[in-house]
Amino acid sequence: MGYLNAILILGGINIIAGLGVAILTGYTGLFSIGHAGFMALGGYMTAVLCATLKVPFPVALLGGGIFAGLCSFIIGYPAFRTRLRGDYFAIATLGFSEAVRLILNNTYTVIGGAYGFTGLPQITNLPIVAVVVILAIWFAHNFVRSQYGKNCAAISEDEIAAEMMGINLLRTKLTALFISAVYAGVAGGLLGFYMAYLTPSFFTISRSSDLLAAVVFGGVHSLIGPILTSFLLVALPEILRFFAEWRLIIYGALFVVIMVFRPQGLLGYTEMNFQFLKVGWLKIKQWRRKGGGVV
Amino acid sequence: MILFIQQVVSGLSIGAVYSLLAVGYALVYSVYNFTNWAFDAFMVAGAFAGFYAIASFFIPPVPAIALALLAAVILSVGVERIAYRPLRLRNAPRLFMMISAMGANLCIINLANLFFGGQFRKFPEIASGTIFLGGVAVGKMDLFAAGFSAVALAILWFFLYRTRAGLGIRASAIDTLTASIMGINNDAVAFMVFAISGVLSGSAGVFYGIKYAVYPYLGIVTLKAMIASIIGGLGSLPGAVLGSLLLGVTETLVSGYISSVYRDLFSFSILVLILLFFPNGLLGSKDSEKL
Repeated sequence: MGYLNAILILGGINIIAGLGVAILTGYTGLFSIGHAGFMALGGYMTAVLCATLKVPFPVALLGGGIFAGLCSFIIGYPAFRTRLRGDYFAIATLGFSEAVRLILNNTYTVIGGAYGFTGLPQITNLPIVAVVVILAIWFAHNFVRSQYGKNCAAISEDEIAAEMMGINLLRTKLTALFISAVYAGVAGGLLGFYMAYLTPSFFTISRSSDLLAAVVFGGVHSLIGPILTSFLLVALPEILRFFAEWRLIIYGALFVVIMVFRPQGLLGYTEMNFQFLKVGWLKIKQWRRKGGGVV
Repeated sequence: MILFIQQVVSGLSIGAVYSLLAVGYALVYSVYNFTNWAFDAFMVAGAFAGFYAIASFFIPPVPAIALALLAAVILSVGVERIAYRPLRLRNAPRLFMMISAMGANLCIINLANLFFGGQFRKFPEIASGTIFLGGVAVGKMDLFAAGFSAVALAILWFFLYRTRAGLGIRASAIDTLTASIMGINNDAVAFMVFAISGVLSGSAGVFYGIKYAVYPYLGIVTLKAMIASIIGGLGSLPGAVLGSLLLGVTETLVSGYISSVYRDLFSFSILVLILLFFPNGLLGSKDSEKL
């Protein structure tokens, strides 16, 4: 039971971070390979707020998320301002996450440097993760359907056309990046207070690749796809032990295979849909009305 | 003063290795408008091939380096065939090319890690010793690497600007579709571009392996080369060389005078500053003129 619990919690945390990447890479078409950096920033900020400054956990979690979001502007503004497409941004995210890890590794006051930030209370449990995941999905779903989300999708399809329709490229991209970094930051905070410690080695490039893999496999322009895959990508290595060693090799090969044969991903352009519930409810109502008429 | 000159010289020697990589990025970027994320893997292939040729099969240095370059070229051309060409042929968005390249890279690097193991390997001494030039020590291998880079870049310049094949590559860089209408074979251009970038990354891998150590994740240094090519202006070959030398010198000066721990932080800050104040890099043109 404890084992299953662990998989569900880690899977839930990965779903939150994966949703962040889905908004940025899946919907806005910006390629991030440094989301582990935002997770680290959010995680450490939450830990400092909650464990050192004794702020209540939910506030600290939100604070960590927003801190990560604000830090994202450091790379977002210079990279998006140039209008030179995604490459600069992708490199900047990679450099940024490495720089964050370097700073964390060498700051020994308060956060413990390379030894890690130890002695955190274990607060994160399944109900908390479940609540945050549901809130995260609800917010992401609303964001994607809002005007902001539609602007993001327009940018990912055709930047020039989107700009001609009057979409402010810089502001829309920065919004998407901010939200995506907040998601990653919250996931980092939950992770720290589940593991009861944080070390910079949690947040390596391989974690960023995992998150990107979730979105590439799950599909662009979809939330349900990345949600499923980001959960599966945590659960699979746990269930299939032999898989752990080959994990990154298989991810890499699958990246190529998916891009060559099914670039939209497994569930690309498919959205989470509760329409069947609505239809079912209407049918039940209809049936009851009919039934009522007979009686 | 001697110390300062010494730092600058070491900086130039690492900058020479960066410049091989940065020129490779710039070349692929200028023709295909995407960053070749699998570059990392070609470099590792070169380093490993060179290392095993010398350490296990006792092949003399020059043929061993040639073998290393061959390995990198085969891998580079192979990745182009498998991971890029299908996407290129159906005009896929650049994001897909980047993901595909990223995937090839993940796959190859982790295969190397699984089969060869992650430990650091020291290259056997090839050309040890230093030459003293007025009190400044220069490693023979550094000198060789710098000389090799200079010659390789000179040959590349000659190839691009003085041969018909180079003309074809430059035409493709301006507009691939128009170039192919004019009778330029796109696949041949792709082959040449990726073979050249294989040579550049393979030799950078060997030199970097000799200078530091050979291990599967050594390719992370390509991040520096990307930063260098952005400093110089993405897609500009002279810019890539200038950016690499600047970055190499800045890095050694920072680790010498400020802190070696925060060296990488400085390189990254330079990237952010360049993006803020010189969005097109130092020598980059505004997207229209290339190579």
